[in-house]
Amino acid sequence: MLRAADVSFTYRRATGRARTGAMESAMTQAPGGRERHDDVLKHVFLEVDRGDLVGILGPNGSGKTTLLKLLGGVFPPASGSVTLDGRPLAGWSRREIARRIAFVPQETSTPFDFTVLDIVLMGRFPHLGTFALEGPEDLAIARRALEATGTAAFEGRAFSTLSGGEKQRVVVASALAQSPELLLLDEPTASLDIGHQIEVQTLLRRLNADGGVTMVLSTHDLNLAAALCRRLVLLKDGHVLATGRTEDVLTPDTVRELYHVNAEVAWHPRAGHLTVVPIGRS
Amino acid sequence: MQPIRTRLAIAVVVFGALLLGALAFAPLVGSTPISLARVFDRSVPFADNLDAQIFFIARLPRVVAAALIGASLAAAGAVFQALLRNPLATPDTLGVSSGAALGAMLAITFHLDFSVSGLPTIPLASFAGSLCALGVVYALATGRRRGLSTTVLLLAGVTMTGFLSALTLFIQYLADFTATFRTVRWLMGSLDIGSYGPILTVLPMLIVAFGMFATLPRPLDLISLGADAAAARGVNVARAERSALISASLATGAAVSIGGPISFIGLVVPHLVRLFVGSDHRLVLPSSALFGAVFLIVCDLVARTAFAPIELPVGIITAVIGGPFFLWLLTRASR
Amino acid sequence: MKTMQARLAALPVIALVLLAAANQAAPPRRIVSLIPAVTEMLFAIGDGQRLVGVTSYDHFPPEVSRIARVGGLLDPDVERILALRPDLVIVYNTQVELKQRLDRAGIGYYSYEHRALPDITATLRAIGARIGSADRANAAAAGMERAFAAIRSNLSGTAHPRTMLVFERDPSSLRNIYASGGYGFLHDMLEAAGGRNVFDDLKQQSVEVTTEIALARQPDVIIELWYGDSVSALDLPRRRLAWNALGSVPAVRNHRVYELVGDEFVVPGPRVVDATRRLARTLHPEKYR
Repeated sequence: MLRAADVSFTYRRATGRARTGAMESAMTQAPGGRERHDDVLKHVFLEVDRGDLVGILGPNGSGKTTLLKLLGGVFPPASGSVTLDGRPLAGWSRREIARRIAFVPQETSTPFDFTVLDIVLMGRFPHLGTFALEGPEDLAIARRALEATGTAAFEGRAFSTLSGGEKQRVVVASALAQSPELLLLDEPTASLDIGHQIEVQTLLRRLNADGGVTMVLSTHDLNLAAALCRRLVLLKDGHVLATGRTEDVLTPDTVRELYHVNAEVAWHPRAGHLTVVPIGRS
Repeated sequence: MQPIRTRLAIAVVVFGALLLGALAFAPLVGSTPISLARVFDRSVPFADNLDAQIFFIARLPRVVAAALIGASLAAAGAVFQALLRNPLATPDTLGVSSGAALGAMLAITFHLDFSVSGLPTIPLASFAGSLCALGVVYALATGRRRGLSTTVLLLAGVTMTGFLSALTLFIQYLADFTATFRTVRWLMGSLDIGSYGPILTVLPMLIVAFGMFATLPRPLDLISLGADAAAARGVNVARAERSALISASLATGAAVSIGGPISFIGLVVPHLVRLFVGSDHRLVLPSSALFGAVFLIVCDLVARTAFAPIELPVGIITAVIGGPFFLWLLTRASR
Repeated sequence: MKTMQARLAALPVIALVLLAAANQAAPPRRIVSLIPAVTEMLFAIGDGQRLVGVTSYDHFPPEVSRIARVGGLLDPDVERILALRPDLVIVYNTQVELKQRLDRAGIGYYSYEHRALPDITATLRAIGARIGSADRANAAAAGMERAFAAIRSNLSGTAHPRTMLVFERDPSSLRNIYASGGYGFLHDMLEAAGGRNVFDDLKQQSVEVTTEIALARQPDVIIELWYGDSVSALDLPRRRLAWNALGSVPAVRNHRVYELVGDEFVVPGPRVVDATRRLARTLHPEKYR
């Protein structure tokens, strides 16, 4: 559905050339292409199928957020291409993309006193544009999104009065109001305590499993990735270290290579997914 | 909560009615008693009809000016607060008012005070000054990054304000006594324009500014949640921010050119309005414009009747009301 | 014997006392004047040559151009004043700091207040007495009073038109208009010149004239006073045109708006006589053919 092919990005200068290549690879180096040291992303390949729950896992500074934004078409790659159903994102208008792909940022705050419903209704913008006003149908979609995220009770409350977990759920609802096929989430639980983390984790799993919402999320949290994601893309210094099913890709070796930490990766029978326990620095 | 269509309709009707009431009532009240019947009495020739003269020449232009200036400053204030992501921003924050003040001052000090085909030059000079200030701030803020850096914008604006104010004081110091006196009076703000000339001078700019205002509310809502999130939803953030900066600055420059700098409207009115309509800019912007007009018409009414026949500068009345309100806002915010 | 000795001993003491008294009575020879009106008064008395310092706003009579400048009302250059070693400084009553410094320096001063027309001749007499030229000063004052009486008697029996006397406004528009209120030397000059001040009910020196006030008062005559270097005779017709914006005011309708240039209108000194005569000629041209 969503495909990033040989995507590179730098915040300063453009570099490299577009190339197609293998789906899974270790540090790729395109022969003839030049790498620059300030590239944030280098020759990344990524494919997301419908219904997938993919995690982009890596330490801070590995380029996760940038990759996510490129996938959402927030800005174009310096080289390579991102395609949605075969069509490059560059050929779509921003609003067309937003009707298919919704982006959930890590943190949302606003200096103004918007209510929860105000925030969620903003998700209808890609369908309405600058001048159209929301009608009863839009209101219904917004309310359904609130239901789906368990935040319907907060509808009239001021957004700023909610807890971290509640805010994140509302922001997810706002993204759902876009009626997207694909949700991109940037570090969805990074600023939350464990209770709220589980809250959001459960929500995302349910939306994916029951609602069929395709998701790509970025995280540095090994256990979140292990618990939630079916497939992982491991990112180190802008390169793809490994990609594949979680149980194939998340090994002590890859953990050591990403984080320089010795860890035990084991299946936890009661939790029903892999867990990663760090032992010490390597 | 009712759907936005209903709320917008209610807001426009209520604030619009207030404005119509103010427009109808204000010209009838003043230091000289006049009667509505006399004003529209066609049997008396205009030259002999003092009531009509006072109504149409002394009061109506100033009420119209108050409406336009109040609407412009209030709307510009709301836009600046959204652009700078700061509820305490005002039209004065970015140096546009200081530029306008400097332009007027230079015109007064160097005796460039004449009429160009019926349009007075001081408002023109004032508006030119505001454009220069805007130009510098804009160039600095759009310099390197794609789009507008609000941090640089704020810093540049605050610096410009300080610099231009110092320059204004310096020129005042050098100027002769009467020029200094005139500029001091101009800086206090006055709506006694006596004719529609100053309004007509800046009307094109106001029309452009309000045209741009109409495209801003929803994008500003989305941008206030985060520029990247807004971009991901399809907002052209760079264009919206540029548009916000230019339109709000044009409106401010035009308003200041007509009646001098009048403070607190741009800060107080959007907040007052939000107490009633919430934070959605599609409601806040038009409501601020309408209520800003009412607010200034009322302040001007008080200014010219409270100590009749002495007229207070209208800026004093807006400050007397706005100052305590601003302090109350701060205490509310800090809780 | 003892009395003779006592009388002899008293002699030096008496001599000293007499000497001190003589010094006290000596008229000031080095005068600094911070008030243009008083500068003109000193010249009118005939003692202009005793001036060693004047302000930057002094322009009359022509002889003042040779005298050293010491600043103005708001910014008198105290060091320059002291450097001129004056024995009398004419100051404004409000220049409190300056008076304190003069006290500390042991320099005498005369404290001037700006009020109405009768105060001008009173000040003239007081200054004359202070500098030891009482006779000449009294003669000058009496001359001024006679001149006023003549102006008034020439105009007795004429109707006094309702007049607005404007002394300040923006040159090209009708903003920031200030006119004489019902008190002060401008008001007195206007009344002496055969005009009735439209603001004679407001007992203050200046009135800020808004559009509404100008319309409501309906003056039959408007006289505007201009002064200072920036006004030439060429500007005046254009300045009068500004009043066309208020065409329904009787003065404008009947073409009785007059522009007069000259600083004798704003210096409340001996030239108020000339100023009043000019006003009278403007208001009642038929009496001055």
